[in-house]
Amino acid sequence: MSSPEPTLHSDQPVTGSTDRRSFLRSTAAFAGLSALAASLAPLRELKDFSSSEEFLQKYYKELSPEEMKKVLLRITDEVEHQYGIRPHVRDLKPMDGVEFVYALNLTRCIGCRKCVHACVAENNQSRSPEIQYIRVLKMPHGSMDVEKGNHVYDDKEVPDKGFFYMPVQCQQCKNPPCVKVCPVNATWQEKDGITVIDYDWCIGCRYCEAACPYWARRFNFTKPEIPADRLNPEMAYLGNRPRKQGVMEKCHFCIQRTRVGKYPACLEVCPVGARKFGNILDPESEISYILRTKRVFIQLKEEMGTSPRFFYYFDK
Amino acid sequence: MSHSSTRTGYALGAITILFFGLTALLLSNSWGHPPARQQIALVDKAFLEKTPWRQTYTDLVQAKEDMSDFDCYGCHDKKKPPVLRFDANSILIVPEEHKNIVMGHGSHNRNNLCYNCHNESNLETFQVRDGRELKFADSTQLCGSCHGPNYRDWDAGAHGRINGYWNTSLGEAQKLACANCHDPHAPRIPTHHPAPGPHALRTPITAEYSPVPTH
Amino acid sequence: MITAARQYLIFLQRSARIAFVGDWRYYTWMAVLTAITLLGLNAYAKQLVHGLVVTGMSDEVSWGVYIANFTFLVGVAAAAVMMVIPVYIYDNEELHDLVIFGELLAVAAIIMCLLFVTVDLGRPDRFWHLIPGIGQMNFPNSMLSWDVLVLNGYLLLNVHICGYLIYCRYQNRKPTKWFYIPFVFGAIIWAVSIHTVTAFLYVGLGGRPFWNASIVGPRFLASAFTAGPAIIILALQIIRSVTQYRITDKALLTLRSIVQVSMIINVFLLVCEIFKEFYSGTTHGASAKYLFFGLHGHYALVPWIWTAITFNLIAMVILVLPVSRSLRWLDVACVLSIVGIWIEKGMGLVIPGFIPTPLGAVVDYVPSLNETLVCLGIWAFGLLCYTIFLRMSVPILQGRLTQANEGLPEITEDAPTDTALPRPAAH
Repeated sequence: MSSPEPTLHSDQPVTGSTDRRSFLRSTAAFAGLSALAASLAPLRELKDFSSSEEFLQKYYKELSPEEMKKVLLRITDEVEHQYGIRPHVRDLKPMDGVEFVYALNLTRCIGCRKCVHACVAENNQSRSPEIQYIRVLKMPHGSMDVEKGNHVYDDKEVPDKGFFYMPVQCQQCKNPPCVKVCPVNATWQEKDGITVIDYDWCIGCRYCEAACPYWARRFNFTKPEIPADRLNPEMAYLGNRPRKQGVMEKCHFCIQRTRVGKYPACLEVCPVGARKFGNILDPESEISYILRTKRVFIQLKEEMGTSPRFFYYFDK
Repeated sequence: MSHSSTRTGYALGAITILFFGLTALLLSNSWGHPPARQQIALVDKAFLEKTPWRQTYTDLVQAKEDMSDFDCYGCHDKKKPPVLRFDANSILIVPEEHKNIVMGHGSHNRNNLCYNCHNESNLETFQVRDGRELKFADSTQLCGSCHGPNYRDWDAGAHGRINGYWNTSLGEAQKLACANCHDPHAPRIPTHHPAPGPHALRTPITAEYSPVPTH
Repeated sequence: MITAARQYLIFLQRSARIAFVGDWRYYTWMAVLTAITLLGLNAYAKQLVHGLVVTGMSDEVSWGVYIANFTFLVGVAAAAVMMVIPVYIYDNEELHDLVIFGELLAVAAIIMCLLFVTVDLGRPDRFWHLIPGIGQMNFPNSMLSWDVLVLNGYLLLNVHICGYLIYCRYQNRKPTKWFYIPFVFGAIIWAVSIHTVTAFLYVGLGGRPFWNASIVGPRFLASAFTAGPAIIILALQIIRSVTQYRITDKALLTLRSIVQVSMIINVFLLVCEIFKEFYSGTTHGASAKYLFFGLHGHYALVPWIWTAITFNLIAMVILVLPVSRSLRWLDVACVLSIVGIWIEKGMGLVIPGFIPTPLGAVVDYVPSLNETLVCLGIWAFGLLCYTIFLRMSVPILQGRLTQANEGLPEITEDAPTDTALPRPAAH
């Protein structure tokens, strides 16, 4: 670069050229401001991003019962406004003496993916872009290496000879890495063992998604899309109420069902009874029976130390 | 006017043009649009169906269905047990009237005899190997007489599906019977057409990343 | 007290004013940076409306160039303070005055870091959830909450040190040692901590074997101490040529030896990592295989990483040879190592950690146009900040803008930047 000429301007008289320059500077500044305004023009499309009530809403665990009532009413109104259906939104608390455990019989699973879609229907997941909590892997006999799994098999008929099928969803870990990494405590483990997300508290940093060894978490990259006629109006705050753009979601063992004593949706649709769910603290439950009597059951990626509440087992 | 300030003037002019140009460019809004939403067909509601594949005798009775199939003595003679016929390879020949039955229970034709389960002296009941006679409604006990471990698991709730309530103090658990899923004459679960696979947000997921070939 | 506050306000006002005056080169440079910043702002506005779907990220690769740039810039911020060590620990006189330029670079880099984290959030409107007291900060469990704390702390430390030293120079008095030396040492330790914490952000994830390696932390530091001083070497030369601020070649060569040693360590650690990933042949090497050689027909990162390695190796050879005592060769080595390390830490560290996914899927990631514009915008904004910081501090450090010449005619708009203000007759 050339060195500028060492002229002294300190006592330059006010001349026409200075006037012209200050005019030029004003126009340049004005042009800059117009470019600034133009650059922000897309924000005009920013609709129902966050209502003031939602913006100021307190953390789930700090909401008083009255405040929770108001929040549930707001959600009810929002859903009705958007889908034309008045939902039944509840804040369901964990039951005493209950810890949920899931077991999946790999000998039985035929890979029909009915669970995937029952889950989507039950939990009001976005249809496009598609969000699914369960991913079914088609695995060659003899290996538990997920890298050998095929996610997109489209065989005419299942099961295919020489393969077994392994559905993977949130493993509801006893030592969940996702909870540990969340910077704002928007996800936590409840005493019945379900790791939940406060969709109104999540900041969408996706650290939990990076931390999960099971690829169980999903992010709303854009506004979710659910056809009104497929909306499930039976909703829970920590469960299947419709999510907003920019937040995480994942399997929550169908909180809106299981916390009122029902089985999860994926289990009820399984044509081969491969899915088993229940209260591990009840020695009479089928889940206790399975863990007591089956010789081999697997916690996926056991070496991670996550201690999943989701077990894979075999009959023969 | 100095050389340098003339340059400043030109620079300011150029900057003004740059910013106005930028304004126009930004207002044209010609990039950065979100990708069009993929057209993903809604899943066939058949895949969301919870009703079991088959209806048992009990289900049919409860549903007040036509029970004529179970009225054995509408055709057979009470006093004359039907005679079974076999081909040259000792494989049972299913009579024309029962051609809807596929004999596929057990491998190597080891369970090739109707009277292993059906009671030849009273066709409207089953007979168990220990000599007991069972009603059609009690078919699970019949299955259990051979399939001990599976029956034990089923009894404990570990084999087969239970719908409804896991917490039976809050509601009813609906336990399926063997015949809800298994055809007693050919109990192996038939193959099925799977529900559609996942659609990825970005690069369409193809099977190529998987070393497992699809058929 | 009130006089002191008044004087400080005058100082701020005068330095703010000077940021808006300069010659035609200054105006053009600032205008170009502003234009790019606005393009980025526009792209971010679109992202705010439509969501992160306008980026190239997905559930499979859930962090992209935003976090990659963030990681790189944390390194730049940390390394800027590395100039402080020779000055305050080894009393290197050559670098003494240049420390402020390094710390200002750190401030600009931290601003960029915070912006890169913010644009990566799905719900930036809920940023307040992070603030302790009114929000919920998952401290000390979440490494991200640590990162927020150390980054902001580091920003404050550096703003304090630079601000204090510059203000003292403006008032033409000697800085009180206890009022900044403890902070300087604090900043040195803090610099190591910001980069270590950022490395731990990745290292702590057991489900991602590519990141879950103890070498990531040391590698972060080594690469930061290469790229950071390399950037400063280039920045100082630009400052020298446009402001005639006295910067000796000796100072640049002192920085050269920092870059030299760091680059050798960086390459050594890279070799360690490559050996570990490939010799044992475990399935955990899948990400490294994807990065270096491609996996199941996906080769998106292969050209990037080999470019980075080639650049780093060439840079290392130049730095080790005596030719890099000549500034031209040193500049080449600096550019190569900056680009090489940017690729290595961005595309080479963040992206392959996600591929294959924990369920074995291989999905490529390509940043979208919108995402790239946001990144360019933040870089332009960072440079804009750094330019303004320098524009304010250089005349003060040169003694052209002092409390003593308050009230006298100011530097006019198109004065060349090296023109002295009228000096007061009597001091």
